[in-house]
Amino acid sequence: MPLTSRPGILNAVMGTSYPPPPKQSQRQDVHFPRPDYTPVVVPLSSISIMSELAIDIRGVTKRYAEHVAVRGLSLQVPRGAVYGLLGPNGAGKTSTIRMILDIIAPDEGSITLFGKRHTDTGVLDRVGYLPEERGLYKKMKVRDVLKFLAELKGVPGAEAETRIATWMERMSLRTPEKDWGDSKVDELSRGMQQKVQFIGTLLHDPDLVILDEPFSGLDPINAQALKDTVVELKARGKTVIFSTHIMENAEKLCDAVCIIANGQKVLDGAVSDVKAAHAGRTVAVAFDGAPNTAVEAVLRNPALVAAMDDQNRFLELELAAGASSGELLQQLITAGASLQRFERVQPSLHSIFLEKVGATGVEAGMSGHG
Amino acid sequence: MGKLIAIIRREYLERVRTKWFVIATLLGPVMFLALTVLPVLFVSRTKASLGSSNIEIIDATGATLGARVIEAMHDSSGAKPQISIIAPSGIAAAESLATKAVMDESRQGYLILDSTTLSGRKARYTGRNTSTVPDMRRLTDAVEKAVLAMRLEHEGISASRIDSLTKVDIRLEKTQLSSKGREKSGVGSAIVGLLVAFLLYIVLLLYGQTVLRSVIEEKTTRVAEVVISSVRPEILLAGKIIGIGGVAVTQLGVWVASSVWIGMNVAPMLIKRQASAMGAASADSTARSAEIFASMPSFSIGLIVALLLFFVLGYVFYSCLYAAVGSTVNSESEAQQAATPVAMLLIVSAIFIQPVALAPQSTLASVMSMLPFSAPIMMPMRMSLISVPAWEVAVSLFGMTLACVAAIWFSARIYRVGLLMYGKRPTIRELFKWLRYS
Repeated sequence: MPLTSRPGILNAVMGTSYPPPPKQSQRQDVHFPRPDYTPVVVPLSSISIMSELAIDIRGVTKRYAEHVAVRGLSLQVPRGAVYGLLGPNGAGKTSTIRMILDIIAPDEGSITLFGKRHTDTGVLDRVGYLPEERGLYKKMKVRDVLKFLAELKGVPGAEAETRIATWMERMSLRTPEKDWGDSKVDELSRGMQQKVQFIGTLLHDPDLVILDEPFSGLDPINAQALKDTVVELKARGKTVIFSTHIMENAEKLCDAVCIIANGQKVLDGAVSDVKAAHAGRTVAVAFDGAPNTAVEAVLRNPALVAAMDDQNRFLELELAAGASSGELLQQLITAGASLQRFERVQPSLHSIFLEKVGATGVEAGMSGHG
Repeated sequence: MGKLIAIIRREYLERVRTKWFVIATLLGPVMFLALTVLPVLFVSRTKASLGSSNIEIIDATGATLGARVIEAMHDSSGAKPQISIIAPSGIAAAESLATKAVMDESRQGYLILDSTTLSGRKARYTGRNTSTVPDMRRLTDAVEKAVLAMRLEHEGISASRIDSLTKVDIRLEKTQLSSKGREKSGVGSAIVGLLVAFLLYIVLLLYGQTVLRSVIEEKTTRVAEVVISSVRPEILLAGKIIGIGGVAVTQLGVWVASSVWIGMNVAPMLIKRQASAMGAASADSTARSAEIFASMPSFSIGLIVALLLFFVLGYVFYSCLYAAVGSTVNSESEAQQAATPVAMLLIVSAIFIQPVALAPQSTLASVMSMLPFSAPIMMPMRMSLISVPAWEVAVSLFGMTLACVAAIWFSARIYRVGLLMYGKRPTIRELFKWLRYS
């Protein structure tokens, strides 16, 4: 599992200079456009950007008749960051996102976007939203749908038409042979409909892009294209927040994450910080052959090992509080283990997630709404 | 504001562009023609059927009554009945021969004139067309005229004088007296009153369900969430109702305008053509159908404004309720069941259209035209039938306005919550909970 695939991105949030975006591989079939931009070089004093928040949620609670979806949640998303909202199904991710977008009103707490209350006029026009469940007006022409979505965000008709034309060409929805803009939405393939939906999300050039489970239902090609788009948006200084329960995506893409479970924040912070906080507590162990009973006893000793995650080819061990890796190694050898690998590793987000949320959190949160 | 207009425009254009809308809008006037002009034409259709002159007249009177009957029938096609003059004793033989001719379809029928006819009591007709009222009417008229002419001649009046003396064509001009004063005959205004009521009923039902389907479409395709991330759900609901209402007004406008045009131009033309095609004998019936058109109530500006106001309030009331229902369901099939209570309100109103139309002054009519759910159908109908007291109109309008405010409040709350709820349909208790979410 790659740990820090794009160190540059992480460093950007931490205040070091931001390198040009990684080279795109040229895929012909589905290629999300790279809008014209000059690579943003984040100045050394980018700490000031950190203090300027795209999203500031404070003490937000949302109750439904039967359950509490979000409980006293506070989180801050710096401008220009790619932010992951992680949690099991039913943790309150979608409820949180809907509250940011003023689709539902919180029972308690406040939400500000770019320093203004999110209910202020015009604030939500700067936000692009891709809901988890996607859909468009099936009987409308693609171009009319997009124009409508743009107008809802306050883009005037003529301007919208120009932008639609550009986007359609970039997304190869308009080629010399075929202009899909005049087709009805339900004449398009699923993949094409998703492209149209992405265009609709980004057509008004939002400063904040909110994607709810953007990777669900995407084929690998579109998923990769989406990742590229997120990187490009960041490079243009936009803020991206997306929810996911797939840790690999978050780990690759996010500058910072917030893990929520049962409507509560479990932890948040820059990915590198989160990992660093958990570093040194995780050990990867692999044996030659099956471990004997004495070794298993060592592994199950709660004074040494707090959690164990069997990764098939190796075991990922979380050291118990007060235990050291040296102590563990000594015990294992004494028990007669034939070690193939013993390594202190940086934990993956996945294992941090499992450690923090645990199986109970996943199950308790299964209530239907995200 | 720009966003509201964008929503209104989308709702309006997407519907006006559909084939369904174009067809229904164009077919409306055709239906109007079928519903109003054709009955009028049927009423006035007194022209005898083709071949009604192809009969045999068996004249056993010994006088020339048979010839006079033929003269009185004056068929414009020039066809003349055959006449057999016989002695009274030969009637039975002549009748059996004539029966044969009718059986093998070479004759339409035969008419027997005898001494009882001369004395003005009876004539006998046997034939295939005895149930065709105009044919029989024509035959009776001709025999009566012939007998009358013969009697006058016995009194020594010349043939030319007889013709002018017997030519009488009285047309009854009817005037309805109401509290408003004198008005033309009620037939025309009754037609218009019923038409107004049914048109309102159809449009309210049709466009209420259009709102219902539109809400369900946005919910099931999940577009709703994208839209309400940009505008408040109340704006979306308002835009939807206004946009679809615009479609309704467009359609209604085309229907009314073309109906009026048909009423003013096509119908009199039809009557004129009919009159020229028919002989003078049917002048009376032609005048009758012309009179029906002439008695169409004149719509004053005030009445038109009132009708429009009732339509708008009724539409807002019903479309709000339909929108609320639409937001609580997950599919169109579920919606049919869930929308039944709303549809019932409309159907109950429709059931009372006829009783109210027949007795627009009754207590039932007053009550039905003041209850908010039936008022948008009943009051306009009564207003085009009779002069409704101003206080009743005022109470009706006031009640409907209150009902609309309540419907808007209710449906906006249900809509906002329901739009994002999927799965089980809410119970009545849950709906009340939704109302309390701010």
